[in-house]
Amino acid sequence: LRTNKQTNERKGGGGGRMESLEAVVANTLALSSTFDDLSHLSSLLKQSEDLLVRNLDKLGDVLGALDAGRHSLACLHILDVLSSRVPVGSPDSGEVICRISSFINDCSADQIRLAPELFASVCHKLKDFVMTAGNLPIKAILPLQTAIRKIQPTPEHFTPQHADFTLVCLLSKCYNAALPILDTDIFEVDPKKTALTPRDFLLYCYYGGTVYIGLKRFNKALQLFHHAITAPSTVLNAITIAAYKKFVLVSLIVNGQLAQFPKYTPSIVQRSLKTQSQAYVNMGNAYATRNVEEVQRCITSHHEGFNNDRNLGLAKQVVASLYKRNIQRLTQTYLTLSLQDIADTVKLEGPRDAEMHVLRMIEDGEIFATINQKDGMVRFHEDSEQYNTMEMAERLDGEIHSMMKLAGKLTAVDEQISCDRAYLGRMSMRDGRHGRYADPDDFDHVGAQRILDPQ
Amino acid sequence: MSSASGLSFKLHPLVIVNVSDHYTRRKAQLYGSLSTAKPPRVIGCLLGVQSGRNVEIFNSFELKYLETEEGLTLDREFLNTKHEQYKKVFPSYDILGWYSTGIDVQETDMNIHKALMDINESPVYMMLNPTINHAQKDFPITIYESELHVIDGVPSLIFVRSEYMIETVEAERISVDHVAHITPAGGTSAATQLAAHLTGVHSAIKMLNSRLKVLHHLLLTTAKGEVPFEHSLLRQIASLIRRLPAIESPRFQDDFLTEYNDILLMGYLASITKGTSTNNELVEKFNIAYDKQGRRGGRAPFV
Repeated sequence: LRTNKQTNERKGGGGGRMESLEAVVANTLALSSTFDDLSHLSSLLKQSEDLLVRNLDKLGDVLGALDAGRHSLACLHILDVLSSRVPVGSPDSGEVICRISSFINDCSADQIRLAPELFASVCHKLKDFVMTAGNLPIKAILPLQTAIRKIQPTPEHFTPQHADFTLVCLLSKCYNAALPILDTDIFEVDPKKTALTPRDFLLYCYYGGTVYIGLKRFNKALQLFHHAITAPSTVLNAITIAAYKKFVLVSLIVNGQLAQFPKYTPSIVQRSLKTQSQAYVNMGNAYATRNVEEVQRCITSHHEGFNNDRNLGLAKQVVASLYKRNIQRLTQTYLTLSLQDIADTVKLEGPRDAEMHVLRMIEDGEIFATINQKDGMVRFHEDSEQYNTMEMAERLDGEIHSMMKLAGKLTAVDEQISCDRAYLGRMSMRDGRHGRYADPDDFDHVGAQRILDPQ
Repeated sequence: MSSASGLSFKLHPLVIVNVSDHYTRRKAQLYGSLSTAKPPRVIGCLLGVQSGRNVEIFNSFELKYLETEEGLTLDREFLNTKHEQYKKVFPSYDILGWYSTGIDVQETDMNIHKALMDINESPVYMMLNPTINHAQKDFPITIYESELHVIDGVPSLIFVRSEYMIETVEAERISVDHVAHITPAGGTSAATQLAAHLTGVHSAIKMLNSRLKVLHHLLLTTAKGEVPFEHSLLRQIASLIRRLPAIESPRFQDDFLTEYNDILLMGYLASITKGTSTNNELVEKFNIAYDKQGRRGGRAPFV
């Protein structure tokens, strides 16, 4: 192929429909410099897809001839065709994984943004390959993280690679690797630039929530599952059902009760979700009785169901949290209590078990108490935080700053929507219909000038 | 040239506020909001007490003057009436001199000065510079005395500058401070007062910070050897440093941090509340613009 490349350079590349693989290469080399050239190249490449399919076996060499950094667009097209034709689980998959990983590391961000759907499909393929037996999901963690960063216009954008990335971290049990991506809040969603689909969002919420459960950060897990449930939709989605099941269990652990659906949950979800996950609703009811045996009974009766949904571990954690909650309730009634009494009230095995539980809770900061081992008494205290340390001052300062940043973002979105055509249309329609005088306070915004000027 | 008369002048803040107020009123009446017009000159009379070598200027009032070809002439009748009225209320105050606004002494000023010399044999002329110059750190007020000098063989009166000090009584300080802080909007509500107070604190801290930077720079250059060693300055700085910290005990730290954290908590709560209210407005607007179902059945009034 090297000699072919040289002859083509002498011949010069041709525009229009490309008839041969050499023409593809030549065009790539010629048109990879400026932005206009790149868009031209992109349209050419899109047309020559079946050409690439026909020359499947030579694609590997073509890929070797091109430089991923400068010719990312062409490499992307070729990789896409290559990876979709190689069956998942074949011995070549290891090689494909290597190719895709090195491509992601070397590619140039501007070029791949011209074809975001292809990039998304390549990343999906990468995920599929690493999920098969004989391949380690851990291989894909770093490439996918680089992929997210490259295709994001800003770090706050949501991309389809988010879902793949969290799934890979979940499968390889490297929960901490997912933290940098999971912890950055997402503020922007731009389907045009990132080739996003709603399914990616639901998947990300579900996987992300599961990762947080693995890290025992149940609050954030609850948030993500909440997003999955309240995402606007018109049909019921299997992902939503699975997310709801986990949501029930996590909310029992965190809040001790199952909250009502918020007002903005889509109606289809509200109506059908409870019927789909009857076992979990029963769990919620059993937990509400604060009786450990009830909950145990519920688990054993729905054992099959929990196992199928892979939620058995989570259900056991629910039982553990019930013990904790009962002990916490004791602090509101008693100042001191003996370990024997604690064990009896909370239905634990014996004072040794109670001591272990209380000790662990003190270490986790869920309770403030001291255990007197001589006579087996536990004294409960108030929260000993005096709020008079420098660390607390710094922490508060940081929180205030982040709150102000968030408020600034909210104000910006508020301004944006005040100038939105749909909103203004509704407002003027409402005033016209009612025949009332326009309330000047309604227009008393920062963007008032823009409203008063005609388009 | 500086004065050799040996008189020490003490100026009260009330006089300064009066003069600036007079000037501002006149300017506003004549020209409204035009800022490019020629600034007017205002003239007034200074009242006070002279005991021996101390001249203390307590109060002032405005004077009527006529503008003629030779210059400005005072309305004597007005001056006399006012003087008598003031004498009734403040018997101890005498007319010590007069004031005017401007940048430099002008020729015509001498005429007015001589006119006043029959009331007070050596009047004092106070000049206020109304141009606001932020870079200038000194007071824009100068006090002139008249002295008889022999120039070119002709004895003539000329103005010479004198030193002066600002002196005040506690009651006067409080009232002048209060007057100075009234915001232009005319509101003395809690919010505007708090904003004015905080602005004052902020500018004070800013000034302190810049002065400290100057001192720090001086010390650095002295250490490097670029600036000759000035012992008196360094001694002053050393004494200043030894005066800090004022209180240093663990109990103070605890109390201080508790109060500090309490205020931070309040600020945190306030910022959360503001964010929540913005959020609420945003959701309202979003519902109006995009909500297809219509939450309430009828057309609810938009609050």
